[in-house]
Amino acid sequence: MQREAAIREPLILGHKTYKDITDDVVGPIMGPAPLGWKIMITISSLIAVYGVGCILYLLGTGIGVWGLNKTVDWAWDITNFVWWVGIGHAGTLISAVLLLFRQKWRMAINRSAEAMTIFAVIMAAVFPGIHMGRIWVSYWVLPLPNQFGSLWVNFNSPLLWDVFAISTYFSVSLVFWYIGLIPDFATIRDRVTGPWQKRVYSFLSFGWSGRAKHWTRFEEVSLVLAGIATPLVFSVHSIVSMDFATSVIPGWHTTIFPPYFVSGAVFSGFAMVQTLLLIMRKGMKLENYIHVKHVEYMNIVIIVTGSIVGVAYLTELFISWYSGVEYESYAFINRASGPYSWAYWIMMSCNVISPQLYWFKKIRRSLVATFVLSIVVNIGMWFERYVIIVTSLHRDYLPSSWGEFHATSIDIGIFIGTIGIFLTLFLGFARFFPVLALNELKTILKSSGESYKNEQAK
Amino acid sequence: MANNKRYWTGLDDLHQTEAFQNLQGQEFPQHQAMDEALGDESLTSATTGRRDFLKFMGFSLAAATLAACETPVVKSIPYTNKPEEVTPGVANYYASTYYNGQDYVNVMVKTREGRPIFIKSNTSTGVGHANVRVNASVMGLYDSARLQGPHLEGSGSSWDKVDAKLAQAMAQDGRKVVLTNTVLSPSLQRSIDTFCQVHGAEHLQLDAVSHSAIREAAEEHVGSKGFPAFDFASASTVVTVGADFLGTWADAAYYASEWIKGRQPESRDMSKLHAFETVMSMTGSNADTRTMVRPSDHGKVLVALHGAIAGTGETGGLEGPLLVAVQNAAKDLKAAGPRGLVVAGVNDLDAQRVAAAINTALGADGTTVKYNGEGLLAGDDKAFAQLVADMNKGDVAALILHGTNPAYHAAQKDAFRTGLAKVPFSLSTAGLADESAARCTAMAPDHHWLESWMDLRIGGTRIDLGQPTIQPLFDTRAAGESFMAWAGQAVSGYDLVRLTHNPRYTSAGMYNDSEWNSALHDGFYMTGGDMPDSAVALGLDIAPSIARLKSIKGGGMELALYQKQTMGSGDQAGNPMLQETPDPISKVTWDNYVTMARTDMESMGLNTYIAQRDKASVVKVTVDGEPIELPAFMQPGQTPGTIGIALGYGRGDGGENIGKAAYATDEDGGHLQTGEGKPMPIGANVFGWATMQDGTPRYDVHDVTVEVTDKEYPLAATQIQNTVMDRGSVVKETDYTSYLSEADKAKGRASWNKNHTLAVHEDVNGDGIIDAQDSKKTSAFDLWKSHPVEGIGHRWGMTIDLTTCTGCSACVTACHIENNVPVVGKDEVRRHRDMHWMRIDRYYASDWSQERGAEEGVGVIASYTKMEDPSANPQTVHMPMMCQHCNHAPCETVCPVAATTHSNEGLNQMTYNRCIGTRYCANNCPYKVRRFNWFNYQGYAKFQNINPSQDSLTRLVLNPDVTVRARGVIEKCSMCVQRIQEGKLNAKKAGAPIVDGTVATACAEACPTHAITFGDLNDDQSKVRTNANNNRSYHALEEVGVQPNIFYMTKVRNTESNES
Repeated sequence: MQREAAIREPLILGHKTYKDITDDVVGPIMGPAPLGWKIMITISSLIAVYGVGCILYLLGTGIGVWGLNKTVDWAWDITNFVWWVGIGHAGTLISAVLLLFRQKWRMAINRSAEAMTIFAVIMAAVFPGIHMGRIWVSYWVLPLPNQFGSLWVNFNSPLLWDVFAISTYFSVSLVFWYIGLIPDFATIRDRVTGPWQKRVYSFLSFGWSGRAKHWTRFEEVSLVLAGIATPLVFSVHSIVSMDFATSVIPGWHTTIFPPYFVSGAVFSGFAMVQTLLLIMRKGMKLENYIHVKHVEYMNIVIIVTGSIVGVAYLTELFISWYSGVEYESYAFINRASGPYSWAYWIMMSCNVISPQLYWFKKIRRSLVATFVLSIVVNIGMWFERYVIIVTSLHRDYLPSSWGEFHATSIDIGIFIGTIGIFLTLFLGFARFFPVLALNELKTILKSSGESYKNEQAK
Repeated sequence: MANNKRYWTGLDDLHQTEAFQNLQGQEFPQHQAMDEALGDESLTSATTGRRDFLKFMGFSLAAATLAACETPVVKSIPYTNKPEEVTPGVANYYASTYYNGQDYVNVMVKTREGRPIFIKSNTSTGVGHANVRVNASVMGLYDSARLQGPHLEGSGSSWDKVDAKLAQAMAQDGRKVVLTNTVLSPSLQRSIDTFCQVHGAEHLQLDAVSHSAIREAAEEHVGSKGFPAFDFASASTVVTVGADFLGTWADAAYYASEWIKGRQPESRDMSKLHAFETVMSMTGSNADTRTMVRPSDHGKVLVALHGAIAGTGETGGLEGPLLVAVQNAAKDLKAAGPRGLVVAGVNDLDAQRVAAAINTALGADGTTVKYNGEGLLAGDDKAFAQLVADMNKGDVAALILHGTNPAYHAAQKDAFRTGLAKVPFSLSTAGLADESAARCTAMAPDHHWLESWMDLRIGGTRIDLGQPTIQPLFDTRAAGESFMAWAGQAVSGYDLVRLTHNPRYTSAGMYNDSEWNSALHDGFYMTGGDMPDSAVALGLDIAPSIARLKSIKGGGMELALYQKQTMGSGDQAGNPMLQETPDPISKVTWDNYVTMARTDMESMGLNTYIAQRDKASVVKVTVDGEPIELPAFMQPGQTPGTIGIALGYGRGDGGENIGKAAYATDEDGGHLQTGEGKPMPIGANVFGWATMQDGTPRYDVHDVTVEVTDKEYPLAATQIQNTVMDRGSVVKETDYTSYLSEADKAKGRASWNKNHTLAVHEDVNGDGIIDAQDSKKTSAFDLWKSHPVEGIGHRWGMTIDLTTCTGCSACVTACHIENNVPVVGKDEVRRHRDMHWMRIDRYYASDWSQERGAEEGVGVIASYTKMEDPSANPQTVHMPMMCQHCNHAPCETVCPVAATTHSNEGLNQMTYNRCIGTRYCANNCPYKVRRFNWFNYQGYAKFQNINPSQDSLTRLVLNPDVTVRARGVIEKCSMCVQRIQEGKLNAKKAGAPIVDGTVATACAEACPTHAITFGDLNDDQSKVRTNANNNRSYHALEEVGVQPNIFYMTKVRNTESNES
């Protein structure tokens, strides 16, 4: 039983009982699909199909259908990759790091945040695949024993580290997420009546019986996985940042990148959680579980990480001047004043200025403001990667090779398409999965205090 | 028991049936089951049921389908009788000579399995050096637009019919004319003479771009015909007034390789070049001092130069900075005396007379100018003008064209076209149905030069030879053979050449004529006898010329017609390699444009910045009421108040079949169409705008109107940033005085080529204090273990001398052809996706710098923006750039699959098969030399009209030693690893170490000025090692620490020190 100071706002509002929680979470799964959901999934799957079409055209014709060129060999592809990986950061941070820190408020959001992580990482993984000139030999990045002779991968390459980092992160996140789902699947299994549903949820719940032994093991495994996942939260984006940091390109070759990328990732991940949850709590009537308090906590995380990102931007600028390296200083002058300065200033205003608005309690606790700002932050974080990649590459060492990058419709189509795929997956999750960790939530249901006692007295 | 056997052969054996016992007795059973079965009558009456039928059908269908699934088999057929000289996989080289009426070069033709695939200079002969146009001309052999046989009245015919038709025509009354380019072949001349004699015809010559004024001036000057021979090698001061002698003027391929001999700073006797010109040319970009002059002032510059040298004080009416520049040039010329040389490009007799007089006044006649009666450029414009007039009057009965295309390049092209329609019989020997040939009655295609026997004589006592390197691909006939046949004296092309030089020649002795064979091996022979002496000057009365030149008045806007290094006079318009080679100055590919000065463009409100989405403004230029619309291009160094348009474009305005690449393509690779549904030519033909002066075209117009239109046009340039942004470690340059004052300092010590060092926190110099003086070379800092390339085995490397590189781009096409580099077309180049492994970066100087910004109180950011703008008349640097083969290559560490690795000979290797195409290496290359295969260039429809490998004939030019890269892989300069390998194998076979100079990359071999040196850096005696140790050599971007195997050598300009 959880004891809470009376002065604190409770984490679950509305005098919920255990049954209420189960009803609220499992109810939507058992009922017919609401019209809003149908409309949304139709739109998102159409976008997804368009994106898949663009990808197939790309694979059939060649990377030339993108706007890349001899000077800018990466642009939207890797921007999208880093953006999606960044978004995929919040889930594990919430479920693992906050678990270790015993932050109970995470319980309302960790399930969907983790689902978002899984789907975002899947979207991220699309880009390194399709950006390859020869995707049909992409398996060569795996250190597989082979008959090509003594061919082996190059362990010096940050791209290879990426392969390991992302695949490890994805598998640990997936396992962690799934373990958490097992008791909840069992609850659904026990409630659904349709023979097929029953069969599917029985399979998914792995024979969970709710015995004390199961619960002990469940909690042990959760703790162990949290311990494994926590370093991954920091390693993944550090390694992604090394794609840039270990290069020789001015604007990329920066030791500040790992912490800067990790905080940027958490920043954008929380923003995406906000965007999705604010819609979901309304659509699925979860206002009592995910309420202003949760939003405020997340906004505080956004202020902190956003400020770290802001300091990192300023540090980069300072170092570019202080280093006295002409290429480095030009790279940053060019970012702020060159042909892509518009992107730089979008990034600066979205990422540095907008989160500072959360210092005002009113804004921090306003759901509308939070929703708007969460989208602003995600736009800003997309531009951060675009600025880092495109503006650094388009004018590097030799002025003779300076060029430009202009996105094509396929660049845009694939990006929009991944958003469509992501939303389709997420909507599927919202429909068929327990969107809240209902069994965990029951542990923080207030069982003492005035209202509870009143309830008992009846 | 009766049967105690434990094993049986069958149940019959076990039961010992009757039939078994019967058979057992017989060793050879008489009645075989099969016989019985076949003999069974009832079987013949058996029917195949419906189900059986379906089964058989099904089986047959499946069997047939499976059999058809076999992968297509491409058979390579071995020689039945292997030719003696051909070893598959081993190249043969044949000496030959290239001459197209403009360029004249001794070449070596590389053939593989009987296919000529590469042309390089025959350096052993010492005459000329193959330039970009000559290198690329091998493509023309495999042009699928070539005429495949004789044509009569527009349709295919036979030689007999064409010959008969010609004989008929020759019987008619009227002028019968053979019109050719300048014929330098004694055999061809002999056959034309024979023909003319038999048929009472006349022989006229016409050059695509006329240089007749200089010949006429020479004739007046020394009384004998011939083109003057200029000795650029021994001249110590050269002044050019509008003559692009490094690019396209007269015998430029020869002049460039000669001039550079006097440009070696180490010789301590570096020659100096003053250029006065209108449009920035190759020569102007390499000049030590360049002055912008309006076309109408070229004559006045010569007059003033003459005035200053002859001491008459005549200034030609010039004043201000222009006069000062002329006087400075005159001062240098006077100091040079007989080693001075003045050349003038303007085709104006008066100007050429003054130029000749200046050379005489310098005492240069006989030293730097020799009047030996060279046969070059002997076109007679006045006779041609008369011919056109006669054609239009209907007085010409027959016209035979050879090596000339007047319907395209004559100043009177329109009159020629109408006249040609009135000529009853006309014939062209052109290999393509070009503008003139397509309008002729008959086409009697000549062999391509790589299929022909040739002899050529430019002058003196030397005969250059050309030999076929392949059997004629089509039913063509050598022009000389045709003329002899038409004269009724049938002789083979080979015999024709032999008989010209040896009247006693018989075919019986052809195999044991060792003199001939060795001449053919060398590519030339000397006829014996003395060189004719330089004729004595008769003295010119130039006073009237001076008066006339002074009286020339310029207009508001003047036009200079110039030739581009890549396209020349346009005879190779259908050559995709040449079209894609960027112009050495503008870096624009595939296009023709109007060059304009920034000030003029800004006052007219035109776009000065060209990039992927920044299109050029189209302007309407009008001359004599004839308008042409072309995009305007901001050309630094363009004289304000003038415009320039290149000749050599607008080929195929009637949709003639002159090659797929000669026409403009759209974004999907199809040809753009004109309003009449014909393919759209690239650019415009401006030959017709040449000003006619005394029957001679002069390639400028002194009054044109330029109007702004509201149209825009995309131009595709390979380089869009023109200045080096003060980045001192990219290009290093100095002036000659500074060079000389520190010429003896050790490498890394001279102020103009200091080692790049980094300060460290340790007491390096041992003075007990750690301060800014304590620094180490960049090579002292490294994360990685060094590659063991120093001092072990080979270490291939290269030095590139920026002083002697003229930017001519011969290396670019040589590399392209050697390495099967894909041609990608204008739209892709516009998207910055050119595939050049080897490119030439061209940087203009800017007036602005951060230093100047600090002095004038301009902010850093604003200064950077100003530094992007070149000066109005900038100094120029050409910097060849290719893979630097870094010993600590940033590309190698980042490849996830180790597709790019370092060889133990210092090469940065690219393994195409292993590449998965992440492009990380290309991003991480500080030199941006890696190229990605964005599309399947060999199959994708966008490249159907552009890429040679999409044409089944043109594909034959591909080098079999180099893989054609697949879609999705990175490629880049391999330092011609196939040539290194060949050299190593040859050395191994010979059992001796590789001799320096026997292995050369395509670029090094192609460089007419020997700016690129390739060799083994571990060989202390090698030229490349010597160059690398020279105190001018440095690594580009040394501070990045990638330790390249390619060294650049500081550019030295022969100018005074700025400080003095």
